[in-house]
Amino acid sequence: MSSAISFSAKKQLPLALAFLALIIPMMVDIPGLEPAGQRVFGIFLMAIILWVSEAIPLHATAALIIFLQILLVSDKALFALPESFTAPKYSVFYAALANPTIMLFLGGFFLADGAAKFNLDRNLARVLLKPFGKSPSMIVLGIMLITALLSMFMSNTATTATMMAFILPVIAGLPAGDKLKISLALCVPFAANIGGIGTPVGTPPNAIALGAISEQGLQISFLQWMGLALPFALIVLLAAWQLLLRLFPSSQKEIDLNIQSTFDTSKPAMLFYVTAGLTVLLWLTEPLHGMKSSIVGFLPVVLLLATKVFGVKELQGIQWHVLWLVAGGIALGKGVSTSGLDAWLIGLVKWGAIPAILLAFTLALLALVMSTVISNSATANLLIPIGISLASSGAVDIPVLQAAFFIAVGASLAMALPISTPPNAIAYSTGAIETKHMVLAGSIVGAVGVLLFVFVAPQVWSLLHLIP
Amino acid sequence: MNKLVLLSIEDEREVRDALLRDLKPFADAFRIESAEDIPEAEEVIAECEAEGDTLALLLCDHVLPGEDGIDFLIRYHQDHPEKGTRKILVTGQAGHDATIQAVNQGRLHYYISKPWTETELQDVVREELTEYVIEQDLDPLPYIQSLNGPKLLEHLSR
Repeated sequence: MSSAISFSAKKQLPLALAFLALIIPMMVDIPGLEPAGQRVFGIFLMAIILWVSEAIPLHATAALIIFLQILLVSDKALFALPESFTAPKYSVFYAALANPTIMLFLGGFFLADGAAKFNLDRNLARVLLKPFGKSPSMIVLGIMLITALLSMFMSNTATTATMMAFILPVIAGLPAGDKLKISLALCVPFAANIGGIGTPVGTPPNAIALGAISEQGLQISFLQWMGLALPFALIVLLAAWQLLLRLFPSSQKEIDLNIQSTFDTSKPAMLFYVTAGLTVLLWLTEPLHGMKSSIVGFLPVVLLLATKVFGVKELQGIQWHVLWLVAGGIALGKGVSTSGLDAWLIGLVKWGAIPAILLAFTLALLALVMSTVISNSATANLLIPIGISLASSGAVDIPVLQAAFFIAVGASLAMALPISTPPNAIAYSTGAIETKHMVLAGSIVGAVGVLLFVFVAPQVWSLLHLIP
Repeated sequence: MNKLVLLSIEDEREVRDALLRDLKPFADAFRIESAEDIPEAEEVIAECEAEGDTLALLLCDHVLPGEDGIDFLIRYHQDHPEKGTRKILVTGQAGHDATIQAVNQGRLHYYISKPWTETELQDVVREELTEYVIEQDLDPLPYIQSLNGPKLLEHLSR
């Protein structure tokens, strides 16, 4: 098709701007910034324009970043850099594509795809929803808890699509004007977005944060992440539940959510259940055996391929473009920290005058606002290198872990517009809600979440000695 | 924006109007066109394609002035097998043999016998278009409300 290669006029302007953003910082002399830093600065500005405008696909921008860094600031750079600069080996930038965090995520994708293939998600939803009875408020709570649980391991989008497929007939059966339609349509994407915060494999921004944190020599285990994130994600989830019930109360006494599915007991399905159970168990017991989550993550890959539970088709069906997008962020962070761009950026502002907590809040809020309009992963890719630079420079008293964590969480909490996340787009497509409903409820949930994570969570973490 | 096109080919004016009336629920998400014979239908298809729209569904009567509906469906299928257009025959007069031929050579997707009921027609069109969106791997979100939403979402989740 011709549309594959021709760029519409709407894309031409951002493309031209991106090109200028790339080359201008290299042409002009920027005081205090070394040539390598100037080149990465250009790449960074280009990345901002491309990831915001989506003039080329998000994953294409990620690949471009890796390529440009190899061409411009690696030991194989086309244009010589001063001898004083120790250029990173070019393979360092390629290595982002197989960064341990990427392998952890790959394992997560194998589990998620297997769960979908063998209908494990639907069966779990059916079984777990039973105890919640038939009252609308309990059903909404049940849907939210199950959606959040599934999206801790599966993609937020797939989880939303699965759950929404059950809910559509219920919505269609409700009388016109019943506000329960709105809370039913909103509870799923909200829970999926919030649930993604809960584990390292829950959503790509978590992987970007983890990748950046480990580049700084800090190791966060699967369980540690859950300890930091899950309790507060649960509080935000319950708050969102109460909010939806109050904003959009139901006139129904009871509703019936009918989920048709049966457990797959074929041999491949059983092999998958065992593999998934073992993987999750190993993830949760790292303190006992010491095997890193990124190493455990490769276990389902090996087992499922070796047992042919996953064939070539399933391997090709993995969302490689998401992994590459995350890798682009990791590579960008690498470039920022090795080129001296980080020190220069931090030096632009007199940080000492700004309280650390205010800065943490600013980072989370910025992530929230940015990812309300652009992709969560792109937001994390752009902000986390800056946050990490700030934290590791020592200019501000904010731990590296928190800087990256708050940005990832802020990105996940953005759910005020249909375009904020794919789960929101799915909810909007049902026609059960108007944009204003999502703006109202989504902004409140986002704001409450950010405030809770930035101002309350760190107090509790240090009380319970959860922070390394 | 590029739209999917539903084209009904029917020579009798009242029947054509009835078809269009029953297809109304799809008018928000789809472009609905009609033609009274095959040459006009081909013009409409060419026009739609020139405007960037895609023919997703043909609702075709059998007995038409000039070329028969079944002959056209077979020809269209053989000329454009890759397009995946859903083909429905809406007729009361197609003989046994012609219908079999339509199924075998034209990969007919559905046979609606006249007179149809509004629900029957809408159900068939909804399911056929749902299949089309899934088979062509289109973004299902614009069609959640007008087509089989749960089925489209299930596909999206897999």
